[in-house]
Amino acid sequence: MAVKEVLLYPDPLLKKMSDKIEVFDEGAEQLLQDLVDTMVDAGHSVGIAAPQIGELRRAVVVDVSKSKLGKKQKNHGLLCMVNPEIIEREGETVVREGCMSVPEYTGNVTRSELVVVQFINRDGELQVVRSEGFEAIAIQHELDHLDGKLFLDRVSSLKTDLFRRKK
Amino acid sequence: MHHFALTIIGRDRPGIVSQVTEILYQTGCNIADSSCSILGGQFSMILIISHPEYENRESFGAAFSPLEEGNLSVFLRTLMPDGEKRAALEGELCMISVYGADKPGIVYRVTKELGDRKINITDLNTKLIGDESRPVYVMMIEAILPDGVEIEEVEGWVESLKTEMGVDISVRSITAVEL
Repeated sequence: MAVKEVLLYPDPLLKKMSDKIEVFDEGAEQLLQDLVDTMVDAGHSVGIAAPQIGELRRAVVVDVSKSKLGKKQKNHGLLCMVNPEIIEREGETVVREGCMSVPEYTGNVTRSELVVVQFINRDGELQVVRSEGFEAIAIQHELDHLDGKLFLDRVSSLKTDLFRRKK
Repeated sequence: MHHFALTIIGRDRPGIVSQVTEILYQTGCNIADSSCSILGGQFSMILIISHPEYENRESFGAAFSPLEEGNLSVFLRTLMPDGEKRAALEGELCMISVYGADKPGIVYRVTKELGDRKINITDLNTKLIGDESRPVYVMMIEAILPDGVEIEEVEGWVESLKTEMGVDISVRSITAVEL
């Protein structure tokens, strides 16, 4: 059990591409546990990606079941994902996002409503999950971290869209 | 370090922002928070700026004259110490959409209800849309509900306002999701 420090932008690691985890060994299991511990310790957090604790390896954990918004929706509880990949997307939705690594700033981001994500789970097995709603948004946000992308790179509008639409 | 609020308004054209910020850069000002937008045919800039030595309007001398010569209106407010700092805004963030046939008093009536309930407006936009024969007024408000005020309660008193004003109003939570 280890709670790690959550890196804050402008830490350069947050903008780096993470490496695939080739072998699911003890080190990978330890990383997942550190991610879970850090997420739980952060209290309000519904997910965290390895680069946020300084590890450039493709692993994220997501758990929306404890959050006010997430527990009202269908979800998979704790998801520990190694080498996750989104293999299908459906729909579009705009959500106001914030990030532990970018405090005191939020922005409207366009995300897919539904994603199908494939990953290696904690037992080292290939798993495919179909996720929608808040959980799907959390998954997309955390997976972006593995590619060095922050929600700031995806802000789609300045507050209300209404007035900036082309006629 | 002294802080100032600077507002600049003038007929919209390309180059206003760069002209303003070049002057700020050359005089050694820092820009903190700012918001700039087109309203009608006017471009408006609101900026919180700071300078390590300048203490008041006089310190700026004729720095903004080129802007005024270019027909831009410039207003500088010297902030009191800590005037640049925002109090922590706690509570649920919600979006209130108000729209309907244009008539006097829409903004006043709605915001009075908010103010009376100590609901803090953090952002407000209004726009007149539709054609001249059928003008439609649209107002979008972002506001923070203080502890103890629930969305359902706001929806409740909004109902009577809708009937009274003959406008449509909807309220929804837009609390940012922390990820």
